[in-house]
Amino acid sequence: MGSLKIRNLSLSYNGGAPVIEKFNLDVSDGECMGLLGPSGVGKTTILKALAGLIQPDQGCILIDDVDVTALPPEKRDAVMVFQKPLLFPFMNVAQNIGFGLRMRKINGAHKQSEINNILRLTRLDGFGRHKVHELSGGQQQRVSLARALILRPAILLLDEPLSNLDANLRQEMRELIQEIQTKTNITTIFVTHDQSEALMMSQRVSLILDGRLRQVGRPQDLFYRPVDPDVARFFGGCNFFTGEIKNGQFETPLGLFPVGQDLKKNQPYTATIRPEDIVISPANDKHLRGAILRTNFEGAATRLWVQCNGVQLIVLAAGAQYKAHQNVSLHIPPDKIRLFPKNV
Amino acid sequence: MKGHQLQTNHNFRTRMAPVMPSLSILLGPALIVVGVLFGGGLILGILQSFGYLHVAAANHLSIQHYLNVLMDPDFLESLWLTLYIATASTLIAAGLSVAVALFLVTLAHKNRLIHFIIQIPLTVPHLVIAVAAVFMLSPTGLLSRFAMALGLINTSSQFPLLINDRWGIGIILTYVWKEIPFITVMILSVLSNTGIELLQVGQTLKANRWQRFRYITLPIIFPSLGAASLIVFAYTFGAFEVPYLLGQTYPMMLSVWAYRNYSDIDLLARPEGITTGILIAVIVSLTVLMAQVITKITRRKGIVL
Repeated sequence: MGSLKIRNLSLSYNGGAPVIEKFNLDVSDGECMGLLGPSGVGKTTILKALAGLIQPDQGCILIDDVDVTALPPEKRDAVMVFQKPLLFPFMNVAQNIGFGLRMRKINGAHKQSEINNILRLTRLDGFGRHKVHELSGGQQQRVSLARALILRPAILLLDEPLSNLDANLRQEMRELIQEIQTKTNITTIFVTHDQSEALMMSQRVSLILDGRLRQVGRPQDLFYRPVDPDVARFFGGCNFFTGEIKNGQFETPLGLFPVGQDLKKNQPYTATIRPEDIVISPANDKHLRGAILRTNFEGAATRLWVQCNGVQLIVLAAGAQYKAHQNVSLHIPPDKIRLFPKNV
Repeated sequence: MKGHQLQTNHNFRTRMAPVMPSLSILLGPALIVVGVLFGGGLILGILQSFGYLHVAAANHLSIQHYLNVLMDPDFLESLWLTLYIATASTLIAAGLSVAVALFLVTLAHKNRLIHFIIQIPLTVPHLVIAVAAVFMLSPTGLLSRFAMALGLINTSSQFPLLINDRWGIGIILTYVWKEIPFITVMILSVLSNTGIELLQVGQTLKANRWQRFRYITLPIIFPSLGAASLIVFAYTFGAFEVPYLLGQTYPMMLSVWAYRNYSDIDLLARPEGITTGILIAVIVSLTVLMAQVITKITRRKGIVL
């Protein structure tokens, strides 16, 4: 277990344009931090720098307040689990798991007992003598995780370890990783491009967009209180409309909304509301009226495109009772609206 | 579901049925040429090795020529020399290829020119390299003259004997130069596929540089390295032109010894020449078979070549 501090980290490949610039992050001892962002944004690059596989152009990395920036991977107390299981094909499961201990010259009964404990923890009992190509994708990834965990690293780095698994297996592995993280209390950095995975598995989430850290916080903060429209958009925000603050109210084409936030008067603002927060009902006179342009059935909910006072809104409605061209009423709860200055 | 399965199998049979005879017809002419020329030559050679020599009116089959060859001290001298040269050149080429491949794998995306240069020997025939070796390494060759120009030696006779020498240095150097790219390419393909990633895994699992080589690189490349080395060994063991040009007069490598016997003015020496050739072919075939067995075992163990 250990704490991690990243200070002004800048990374580039072969001296080219920086992939990551002046990246700062603090991860507490025993915390599970999700590193979230779209593909190609540099998440894996950060993880490789933390593991020591890439040397940063600038900045420093501190594990337990010790600067490890110049240390090679084998001298750092951090272990990385890669996107692919990358098991050694010439070793069986137990040999793969015990590889790190063997490199540390730990052998005999102690090594075997550690391997057995980890096999149990990762639900791989009885697989020790299996060849790795006999295992399923999920089992291979569990071996990969076990191989890292056996070293009891201060920092465990997980680079999208579930991205190659099918949906059911992914859910199973998410639960397993959560359970192991809780049991072992190892400080974990979990890289993913899947927002639901990050929200589900992390105690805090760091969102990286365009090579910059945009927001760090609890999953609920990022989801319900995004700091800018890009963050809102990344988490599925699709309803944006503009307006101005007048007489303590936010004046928009969709109506007047009381504002709780401390905002400047006569300034343009962009507002967002999540599609599932808009309340839709059959047409009545009490609420805002609109017409459904088209619908898309998504299983648990139906996505509706609703034209309302010149603004197009997307609404998620439970069930499938709404049809295209139907007139409906919308209620936009003011407390669910999030405002950003328009130039953000 | 079952009906669908049956339908699929039926389709498979009807689709494959016309393909089988047409394949035989298409390959037939080539197979006949190969069968008659190669197979016929081989049968004739085997018959001669067992004493059948029509031109010398020898029609009695026996294993006498095999016994003569195997008990001939010259054959044993040649066999040891051949084994020594094939083993030495294979081991040196394999060792250097590992080093070159490890160097190249780090350059994979940086310098394609170096890759190209290292593969050049693959395109040059052995005979050309042997002639180049004569020009370079002989006592009056370029290296000798260069050494004289530098004042390292006074006369060409002071230059160490590197061709037609007792230790087969010229032959070994030629094969090493020629075979390094072949083995390197074989290893490099494995290393480039998963090797780099596995080495990174090893690094994060606390393996130092030596441990990574010993416990990751070597096991990864071993199947390819083994198969490629056995092929090189088999080739070097049976090769003729390089030892013919660069070897000493006694003892000679087996292929040269076989040729000398076969082309001897005494027609009765011909069966022993051909017997030696057959023995070379048997040893080479066994080596290739061994390479195949290694490949199969490693594949069964899940190691992709």
